[in-house]
Parts: sequence; structure tokens; C-alpha cells
Amino acid sequence: MPDDRRMRILGQLAGIDGADMQPQRVCELSAELTGVTGAGIMLLSPDRPLGSIGATDDVVATLARLQHDLGEGPAVDAYQDQASVQVPDLAEDGRRRWVAFCGPAIDAGASAVFAFPLQIGAVRLGAVHLYRGASGALNTEQLADGMVLADIAAQSLLVTQSGVPSGELALEVRRSGDFQLVVHQAAGMVSVQLGTSVAEALVRIRARAFAEGRPVQDLARDVVARRLRFSAEEPD
Amino acid sequence: MLEPLSRDVGRSIESPPRPRTERTGQTTGVAVSSESSLARALVELADTLVDDFDVVDLLTHLADRCVEVLDVSAAGIMLVAPDGSLRVAASSSEEMRLLELFELQADDGPCLECLQTGGAVFGPDLDHAEARWPRFAPEARAAGFRAAQALPLRLRGMVLGALNLFHSEPGGLSESDLVAGQALADIATIALLQHRAAQHAQQINEQLNHALNSRISIEQAKGVTAERLGVDMDDAFRHLRTYARNHNLRLADVANDVIAGTVTTDLFGAVTHQWIGYDTNTSRGFVSVCSCGWRSPAMPSAGLAAAAAESHCSES
Repeated sequence: MPDDRRMRILGQLAGIDGADMQPQRVCELSAELTGVTGAGIMLLSPDRPLGSIGATDDVVATLARLQHDLGEGPAVDAYQDQASVQVPDLAEDGRRRWVAFCGPAIDAGASAVFAFPLQIGAVRLGAVHLYRGASGALNTEQLADGMVLADIAAQSLLVTQSGVPSGELALEVRRSGDFQLVVHQAAGMVSVQLGTSVAEALVRIRARAFAEGRPVQDLARDVVARRLRFSAEEPD
Repeated sequence: MLEPLSRDVGRSIESPPRPRTERTGQTTGVAVSSESSLARALVELADTLVDDFDVVDLLTHLADRCVEVLDVSAAGIMLVAPDGSLRVAASSSEEMRLLELFELQADDGPCLECLQTGGAVFGPDLDHAEARWPRFAPEARAAGFRAAQALPLRLRGMVLGALNLFHSEPGGLSESDLVAGQALADIATIALLQHRAAQHAQQINEQLNHALNSRISIEQAKGVTAERLGVDMDDAFRHLRTYARNHNLRLADVANDVIAGTVTTDLFGAVTHQWIGYDTNTSRGFVSVCSCGWRSPAMPSAGLAAAAAESHCSES
């Protein structure tokens, strides 16, 4: 059934030169209508986070990367529980929920985080995640807009990807995406260095980055540049 | 109920243009072709649309909104069918006379003109439009309309259909109503696209996941290859691609084999340079092939191609 909220939001997506549903634009509007500082989309699968698209600022990109590395956070929960996530005060309510994610997320500049699942019927694609630089809850209107926008984002993502040849990613997805490719390259290299599977190498890289308190991507870049090797003897 | 829509439509148009130059600046032919296939898919949708209650419902709602918001007497949404003909998808009234006016525009009229030009079409006075629209103008007048307009349903350079507006008085839309009208036409376009995507959600999501997982596998395989051969990522990719090509395999499959450790043949062996033979599939001349994947330029004779290979293998 057509509803006025959806109509109004679709109207705001209708741009000056025709319909614009690129992930980036949907994220910008999500941030605007829910009154948050920034928004992004995480693509997730039951096995692993796949990457992020449409991040409106660097903080969102960092929050996505943290969730990608740690496997926990608001977008991951929204995807797994198929329900919205609202943590208006991250410092107060986030620590017990996300032991590893919370500290770095606050350091990155997030004081409140929210997420809505990207879902069409039984098809689950990921989640829209949002943050605020200051703590504070979403009001009823913002919450309702956020849910409709997540719905629109899911459909838009499918629209963007539809008609693209099998095995390829839509240009809009590739262009606005961060798929942590350097981490996967490093995992391939480390698997040879350690004589393990690539999956195991990925775990070792993440564990070492966590132990050294540095972003996984930084460490991966060092591996790929051959500034850093993993060796089977030394513990990591 | 009407207020929020008209206000928000106006606001979205008046807000300053988004910084889209940096995005469109990177647009390549790929975007155009993926857009066209999307548009093609949408054209297919137009054919089945009449059977689908939900989309017709939404478009009818939009047509009704046009009448309420834009101060027009009647509105309809026309879509291009696969055979190129115009079909009525929704109308603000089921009156037979109005429906016939939409159908009539297969021959002439604002909608047909809108499809042909890709821009908005105005017929501010149907009393003097018979030369322009010989069939449409008299019929529209007989139905009680004095002016008609068509606004395109646009998808980045393509026109998928038209929003048809009728007035019982001469004259067209005001400037601000025109802007709101185009926004409503854009909403119709978005609704159509989203409907189509939702119908194929499962399939597209699987495809998206597959594409992402393939990409990840290829990056991991590049890492394995780079480490084993002591080369950089670009060279590692070239090795994988050459191997896939030489063995007639898909790159993603080779990548999965590399990750699983089941590639035991020449990929990670010492790179050997040995003349394999001529590529008989080329019609341009004689092409020599080396075991490393190298191919000579097309040569006028077998001897010259073999000599080129000999020089490649000894230098490499």
C-alpha cells in the first residue's frame, strides 16, 4: 500500500536530473532525515562481513572497518537479529554489548550508534548504520524515517546491482565501496608464510593487529609491501 | 494529507544541487551499459505491469496526487512496452473517454512527442493544435480538455514513459507546478525500478554475494601467488589470469583452487619458457605461443613467428 512517509522520502530522492538512488545519496539522505552525523551501508553475509558502501564521512568508514575486522557492532547485530539497533549513549550502554568495538568506536568519534537491517522479505543484504557525534536518542519520526530509508536502501541496492553481468559488481557499488581488499591480499601472503589456510591467516592478521592496537588495514599494507612477515616460530 | 507531499517535493527541488560532479566525472561506458540493461528490464516490466496490483496501485495513487497537487483536471502514467508502443499504466480516472485519449497517442499527441524528444511537451491551447496533433487534439477537445502536457519518466538519459496531464482551461502548469510535476514523474520512475528489483531480490542478492565473494577470493589468491612467486600484486594477477586463460578456466575458479591449495600444475612451478606451437585460431597470420602464456604478434610466415618465440624464450 502506498504510504505518505514513503512517498515523501522517495520525493526527496528524486533529484534535479532524474531518479537518483545511488548508495551514497541514500546514505546522505538517511543521515539528514534521522538527524545524525553520518551514515553508511554494510554488506553482510552469514559467513562474514563483505564490505561497506556509501559512507558519508571518515568516521562511518572507520566504524564499518571496525565491524568488518571485529565481527561485532551495530550493523552486525541489526543484520543477525533482523531488528533495529539503538544505542543513544555508546559509552554508557555499549561496552558490555560490544567489548572490542566500543572503545575504538568512541575514539573514532561516535557517541551514539544506530542500525537498521537491509532486508526484503527473507532476503537479507546487510544493514544501514548511523552515528552521532553527541549522545542522544532518535525521536519517533526519525526512527520511522530511518526504517523506511533502510527499506529504500535495500531496494536501491538491488536496483543498482540488477542487470549487471553475473560475477560482476555494479559500478556504483564498486565506486563507493570499501571491501578491505588489501587485507585479503595480505591473508593470501601470510597463509604461505605460515603454511596455513587463508582463513586461518586472516584470523592471525586480525589477532596481531588487535594485540598491537593498530588498524588491520595498516598491518595488511605492511605485509603486502613486504615490510612485515609472519613466521611460524614466533608467537603473534 | 496533501500538505507534506507538495511541501517536500518543493523543498527537494529548491535545495542546492548536490556535489555530483565528482561522481559523474568518473562515470564510464560501463555505467551507461548497466543503466541501459536496467532500462531494458524495466521495459519488460511494463508488459506485465497490468497484472500486478501493487504497482498499478502506487502509480494510480501518484496520478491522483497529480490532480490534487498540480491543479490539473486529469493525469495518467504511460509506459513504453517492449514493442515500443505506449501503454496506459495508471490513470486518475477510469472514464472511458480519458483512457481512449491515452491509447490514441500511439499515433500522435504529447506523450508520443515526449518519448521522441525526451523532454517535457506542452500543448497550451488544443484549439490551435490540430496541425501538430491531428488525431489527438480534436478528441481531447471533445473530451472537455483545452490544454495537455507530458513530462518524461527519466532514467539518466533514457525515457521509460510519460506523465500525461490534462487541463480543462487553456494554459499550462505554472513554473513551480512544473517542477513538482517532474518530481512526481521521477517518483514514478523510482517506484517502478524498486518494484522490479524487489521481485528479483533473492536472485540479485545471490549474484551480489557471489560477485563480492569472487572478488575477495581473487585478492586472496593474488596474495598466495605473490608470496610463492616473489612478485607484486599486479604480476600475481597476471599469472592467475594467464593460467586461467591457458587452461580455459574462470578466474574465480582458479582463485578458489589456489586458496584451497589444489592448483599443483605450472602456476607455481618455475616459470618456463618453451615454444608450444602456433595458435591456429587466429586468421590474421602466424602466432607463436610460449608456455609462460606469451604470444607473438601475428607474422606473415610460420618461420618468422617461430623466430619471434625463440628470441622471447631466450631473453626471458
